[in-house]
Amino acid sequence: MKAGKVEGVIAEFENPAALIKAAEQLRDSGYKKFDCHSPFPIHGMDQAMGEKRSILGWIVGPVAFIMVLAGFLFEGWTSTIAYPLVISGKPLFSYQAYGAVAFALMVLTSALVSLVGMLAINKLPRFHHPVFYSERFNRATDDGFFVSVEAQDERFKEEDTAEFLKSIGGREVELLVAND
Amino acid sequence: MSVENTVAADTFTEPPLIKGNQTFASVTEIISSIVEKKPKKAWFVLFGLASSLVMILLGSIGFLVWEGIGVWGVNNPVGWGWAITNFVFWVGIGHAGTLISAVLYIFRQKWRTSINRFAEAMTIFAVICALIFPGVHVGRVWVAYYMFPIPNQMAIWPNFRSPLLWDIFAVGTYFSVSLMFWYTGLIPDLATLRDRAKTVLRKRVLGLFSLGWRGGNKQWKHYELAYLLLAGLSTPLVLSVHSVVSTDFATSIIPGWHSTIFPPYFVAGAIFSGFAMVMTLAIIARKIYNLEDIITLKHLERMNMVIMVTGMMVGYAYSMEFFIAWYSGNEYETFTFLNRAFGPYAWAYWIMISCNVLIPQLFWSKKIRTSIPLMFVISIFVNIGMWFERFVITVTSLANDFLPSSWDYFSPTFWDVSLLIGSFGLFFTLFLLFIRYLPMISITEIKGVLPQADPHYYENHA
Amino acid sequence: MNFDATTYRVSDVKPVMTKALGAGILGLLLTFAGYFLKSDQFFFSYLVAYLFWVSLALGALFLVLLFHLTGTTWGIVLRRILETVIMVLPYLAIFFIPILLGMHHLYHWSHADVMANDPILSRKAGYLNITFFTIRTLVYFAVWYYIAKKLYKTSLEMDNGATPEQVKTLKKVSAPGMILFALTTTFASFDWIMSLYPHWYSTIFGLYFFSGGLVGMLAFLTWFGLYLRKKGLLKDVITVEHYHDLAKMIFGFIIFWGYMGFSQYLLIWYANIPEETVFYLARWQGSWPVITMTIVFGHFVIPFVALLPRSAKRNLKFLSILSLFVLIMHWIDIFWLVMPVLHKSGIRFCILDLTSFFGIGGFFMWLFWKQFSKHPLTPVGDPRFKESLNYKNL
Repeated sequence: MKAGKVEGVIAEFENPAALIKAAEQLRDSGYKKFDCHSPFPIHGMDQAMGEKRSILGWIVGPVAFIMVLAGFLFEGWTSTIAYPLVISGKPLFSYQAYGAVAFALMVLTSALVSLVGMLAINKLPRFHHPVFYSERFNRATDDGFFVSVEAQDERFKEEDTAEFLKSIGGREVELLVAND
Repeated sequence: MSVENTVAADTFTEPPLIKGNQTFASVTEIISSIVEKKPKKAWFVLFGLASSLVMILLGSIGFLVWEGIGVWGVNNPVGWGWAITNFVFWVGIGHAGTLISAVLYIFRQKWRTSINRFAEAMTIFAVICALIFPGVHVGRVWVAYYMFPIPNQMAIWPNFRSPLLWDIFAVGTYFSVSLMFWYTGLIPDLATLRDRAKTVLRKRVLGLFSLGWRGGNKQWKHYELAYLLLAGLSTPLVLSVHSVVSTDFATSIIPGWHSTIFPPYFVAGAIFSGFAMVMTLAIIARKIYNLEDIITLKHLERMNMVIMVTGMMVGYAYSMEFFIAWYSGNEYETFTFLNRAFGPYAWAYWIMISCNVLIPQLFWSKKIRTSIPLMFVISIFVNIGMWFERFVITVTSLANDFLPSSWDYFSPTFWDVSLLIGSFGLFFTLFLLFIRYLPMISITEIKGVLPQADPHYYENHA
Repeated sequence: MNFDATTYRVSDVKPVMTKALGAGILGLLLTFAGYFLKSDQFFFSYLVAYLFWVSLALGALFLVLLFHLTGTTWGIVLRRILETVIMVLPYLAIFFIPILLGMHHLYHWSHADVMANDPILSRKAGYLNITFFTIRTLVYFAVWYYIAKKLYKTSLEMDNGATPEQVKTLKKVSAPGMILFALTTTFASFDWIMSLYPHWYSTIFGLYFFSGGLVGMLAFLTWFGLYLRKKGLLKDVITVEHYHDLAKMIFGFIIFWGYMGFSQYLLIWYANIPEETVFYLARWQGSWPVITMTIVFGHFVIPFVALLPRSAKRNLKFLSILSLFVLIMHWIDIFWLVMPVLHKSGIRFCILDLTSFFGIGGFFMWLFWKQFSKHPLTPVGDPRFKESLNYKNL
């Protein structure tokens, strides 16, 4: 990062409704690399931003399926091939008894993939990000509602974008200038 | 006939969940200030008490490991005494946390937001307490790793047909998943604390654990689905955990243990006892930290209703067991249940019945349901009753089994008591540390249920 | 059928009622004719059909009670359908008469000499005897009638504008109603099904029967709602959002049912006590494993996997097929509970299974439509009706 380089622009909005309207207008005017920051998820924001549903479910699903199968096979393998031992007269391959462990393994891995997958898709942890250049941005986790547009966006032009944000009701429009 | 019953509709509007006309900023302030200010005197007093009990716990464990489990009151035929009772009791306590955070989330019960965070924390701490007991019960603690399927030079594997092994997986998974769920919920709140932090150390530590959270909708989108998935996974998990615990008893052929209703019955009992514990803690925390606006009387009343309903489910299971014990025509079954009610442990049985089935019936009265001192007392009774339930199940069936010549009476020793008390100490110590350092109520989720969080709110209030 | 979208009433239901009544009369006549050919088969087939329809109605009663107790919003638009079903439930008491007449064919314990000579059964004589059995059945229906009537009447009164008192009344009836429901349904399942094997017992059996009926009712509700939709009824009232929630409920209670079934099976398999394993042994004789496995897959695995994706839960065409499939599976579940008592060596289907199903079902639907067409098809007067109408999933 070079100090003084403009990496984006940020604007604050009054409330969740204003943020949604702003998102709609950004979406309609062709912006892609923008984000709406709020202290809590806002209903209807995905649609307003033109975002698709998260794909996380399609990652976790197959993992769950594979793990339940793997757990089952592992249990079967240890008790029939690796260490066959008759206990309380039960058949070696007692599939009835394998459910609990296979299920637990499935839940454990799926939960892990849900959390790690979510972080990976969100590219977290990431401790350095242009929005943090703004002092005001601290309030995004308190009671502030912000729109940030990244400089990489095709339509991004320092002045125009800032003007545009102002025109759709943004206050305290601020350029995100690298300061380190 | 008109479809629009506007007049009627107004009289039915629910009062707001969060009281005191809170704004987003005031919610942040109320909750985060608790962990940012120096703790109150009450906190130090409680912490001192709790941590000294932890010393008792550590001492007792040390002596137990040194001397062997003979220091307990277990005898022949009662090979499972208080250790298993405590284990089942603590695992059960944890269940309310998952129920509140996962199941109520799936059922869109917004009132959960005020209590879910510390109920989840309670889950984790209760499971830690629970894990101590089977851990020390194995006798030779230093080879406890034998329980895990680790390849070894003797080429032996654990017996996957054993319910005790299922326990390891079920409770271990339960602990890990609860921790992940809890942490996922904490990320945005840690970011809030990070952005309010005054000192560099706080900024660094909180910054590290909040992972650079920015609260952008592109993040929220995945975050919300991950949260939903974790809730969806935790729901069957919580059912399975206590079901698996119940199979420790129910897969045997011992009268009073072998009953097909055990899995759902244990789950209902777990939720029942867990809610009682949440109640006990919530009432104290709410009082000490003046959280009356956020944990309102309405929340407490709803929890009381859950306690009442699950209490009746437990009552249903007791009566099914009793009826079927007679209906089965099996002498041993019939004897076991009559023995429970009128035999040497009748005192324990009737404590269980009165605390679990009779006393919660008081909640039919709205007055009692909304009276804080009374609900506090009742929640304590339920906690006691549910401990006794596990005691009754574990001990009565073993003490008087098929062979009258081997019958014996179980009496706890000093070390039984010290371990139980010590585990409470550990639970409260962890809990006090939690409310000292982490937001005990989800800041994010409380904001989400405020009326002004809904974008449509501004259409009418512009 | 004609639907008035302002009053939510339906008119000209004659054709469908005639069809239902026709199926009912024809079905029952053929079934009764079967009595003279194979009397045992007649009673068992009749019992299966009877239990199927009763279990659905009990599922409906539970849902109405649940909606009132939890204050569910999304379910309000569906409530009138359920309320009409629970008003049909008391009429089913009349259809119990053939079962009472066929006691000696169905229930081994109804023979006094058998009871007296069996050391275990003789202990149960105080409970398992024809007089007490009849009294209990009457009590169950009396309780169901009382709860259903009270809920239905209050709901109808609310159609012309609700008062807070009425909402309170519904809650007040539902709370003790739920307790009575739990006890009566449990003991009904013990009496009607579990006692088919007088030696066998299982503490979870009541929950198993109840959860099956609930799944059945949810499937029925989905299927029936979509049927109405096809006819142009309640199109804008029961929306895809409501079907989405119904699908979630089916999904959830499929798991609940599977949990009950598996708990019972696992514990009995594990303990391996002969007096308990007889139940599963009978269902593993000859060709019975085919039905047993059909239930495992059809009643659990297939609907579970099919309903996992969100898109499946919102696909109405798919849901109408799936709900019908689940309903058939529920019937097979009941068949599996009852029939191995009669056909010990293997599966034997009989035309009477079908005729009795349509016989009781025809009357069931006839009574349903008769009641359903008298009032608005949805509780328009409920204070939260509009909220329910505009309900959206996350």
